[in-house]
Amino acid sequence: MAKRNKIGWYLLFTVPLLIIFTIVVIIPFVIGIYYAFFQWDGISANPMEFNGLDNFFRLMDDERFLRSTWLTVLFTVLSVITVNAVGLAFALLVTSKLKLANLARTMLFMPYLIGGLILGYIWQFVFLDVFTLIGGITGLDSLFFNWLNDEDFALFALVLVFTWQMAGYVMIVYIAGLQGIPGEVVEAAKMDGASGWQRFSRITVPLLMPAFTISLFLTLSYGFKIYDVNLSLTGGGPANATELFAMNIYNEIFGYNNYGYGQAKAIVFFVIVAAITLTQVYLTKKREVEM
Amino acid sequence: MTFNKKFLTGITFTAALTVLAACGGGGDGGEQTENAGEETTGISIFQSKVEISEQLEAAAAAYEEETGVPVEVIGTTGDDYAQQLQIRLNNQTGPSIFSIQNFEEATRLESYLYDLSGEDFVGDIAPDMELMLEDKLVGIPYGVEGFGIVYNKDLVDPADIADYDSLVSTIEDFNAEGINGFGLSSEAYFLIGHISNYPFSIQEDPQAFMDQVTNGEVTLAETPEFQKFGEFMEVVRENTPNPLDKTYDTQVGDFAAGKTAMIHQGNWAAGMLDEFEVDFEVGMAPFPLEGNDKLAVGVGSNWAVNGDKDQAEIDAAIEFLNWLHTSETGQKFIVEDFGFIPAMTNIEAGDLDPLSQAVLEASNSGETIPWSHNYYPANVVPNDFTPAAESFFVNEDMTGDELIENLQAAWENAAQ
Repeated sequence: MAKRNKIGWYLLFTVPLLIIFTIVVIIPFVIGIYYAFFQWDGISANPMEFNGLDNFFRLMDDERFLRSTWLTVLFTVLSVITVNAVGLAFALLVTSKLKLANLARTMLFMPYLIGGLILGYIWQFVFLDVFTLIGGITGLDSLFFNWLNDEDFALFALVLVFTWQMAGYVMIVYIAGLQGIPGEVVEAAKMDGASGWQRFSRITVPLLMPAFTISLFLTLSYGFKIYDVNLSLTGGGPANATELFAMNIYNEIFGYNNYGYGQAKAIVFFVIVAAITLTQVYLTKKREVEM
Repeated sequence: MTFNKKFLTGITFTAALTVLAACGGGGDGGEQTENAGEETTGISIFQSKVEISEQLEAAAAAYEEETGVPVEVIGTTGDDYAQQLQIRLNNQTGPSIFSIQNFEEATRLESYLYDLSGEDFVGDIAPDMELMLEDKLVGIPYGVEGFGIVYNKDLVDPADIADYDSLVSTIEDFNAEGINGFGLSSEAYFLIGHISNYPFSIQEDPQAFMDQVTNGEVTLAETPEFQKFGEFMEVVRENTPNPLDKTYDTQVGDFAAGKTAMIHQGNWAAGMLDEFEVDFEVGMAPFPLEGNDKLAVGVGSNWAVNGDKDQAEIDAAIEFLNWLHTSETGQKFIVEDFGFIPAMTNIEAGDLDPLSQAVLEASNSGETIPWSHNYYPANVVPNDFTPAAESFFVNEDMTGDELIENLQAAWENAAQ
């Protein structure tokens, strides 16, 4: 009797979520796979032509898509490194015996609370006005100019803004990890004469592995599917130099009205993101140590 | 530690779900609107011109008061109008009246467009201003709009920009004085979309010329008008601040502040100039490419009726458009509140700002060149022309000829 009751509660809480998840995720996902085999402009009254795997073959010599793939990979690799390095540094900083630790924690987390769209517009202003101003005053105008108008630097601008946004978020994850490290282990290491760096690399890092798993997973997948900051900061420009995956798909579907082809891209995108993040989780999981 | 580990695994799982959710979504963001108003046939309007949203709501309220027919105006941000419209049409929550920009868009949405040829009030549309698909009249023009060189009369003498060479030397002189002589801005249409009209529109038969470009019978690079246009863009790049650093707001704002002497804009900018309370007179001059002395005048948007609705709603929609264009109240809304230059012969233009006045005069005298961008391949301006222009403005060593070649490639890409 008690057991049945438990199942009842279980259903009560999970079924609504499952229904929503099915409606907004599973069903559109399956329909999307179906569309990927058609040539269609997205107007339901217009004809859909079945063209088998053509959409997928077309992908392989779509230069713009390949360039966008490369840019996305580059962006993701760079930002995974910077976000995690900065995030970990922040976490170490605010868990140290700093007086302003609590305040700093709040401040550092704040950028994440600002939506990506607004963040993009704010930084557009920073690059346009503040950067050129600094460049003008200091004379360092080879470094401080409007990055958004340079085909190479625009991508770094994206990395910078994304780091600024996400570092505070992964910081929270790292803080949770750092606080889980038992003080006696650290103390014992100290007694044995381990230096600060040794304590960090031999004790903190291995015990932080679970936090690394999550943080890497989050930044990897967020990086791959970034759209909002991309849209508001650069809009894919200049000259498509920062058109990342998600934006490329959006433009294909809504700009060029190639619904089927865009869906095919989205499927490939999904497979790539899933493969990479799952591999990453598998690899870092293996390195986690049990206490 | 075990608790912590579990907690972390939990986060991982939740995160995984979120990621999958975001990947699978594929950008369908359409909200449902209620199907209200079954008793009396209400109508809904969805249109792209943000500037008239509030005024249109007032017009809808006035209409509802007069006739009792509820009119719902669905809001838009303007930028994603086409996508939102497509989503609404597809999921059967489409509006009864919507706006279509041009011929290319009409072709795509043909199956939704109701043939308005038979209605009485369309007879009053000014010649050649209606949107036709073969012999069907599918769009009623919002109004007439025009663009050209908007200049500050305190700084610029119209005689100095009347031909190409003096325009160029005027721009160079302003540069020497530290004034922006020719302002463009980074938005697709203000960067390249509108200004790219000229070399097309001054062809003898622009539409036939565009067909030839599409068929590969002629290339832009070998056409003298385009070579000259490329040359002019080089002049702009050398003598003015980078247009990619400007937005529409700063472009017009700099002009209002006297920091820019000329901008390439249309009569729609008058509203913003009014808000800035400029203390100088403004004028609009033709862009003198290859001796052109006419403003580019056309229709920016058209009202269309959704033929996919049931007949009662279609009739109610037509009735509303009829009211808007023939009744005194409706006409007053068009002229005074929307601030349109009417494209209907039965509507008197109101008190116009100087820019609109220039457009109206040009339009009445027939001294105009058409808007070719309404016949460009679908979406070519934001999709392909803009990246080409952007790379021209960020690469100092790219020549005007290369820009034209890139525009040619962009055209081919979009027209295929």
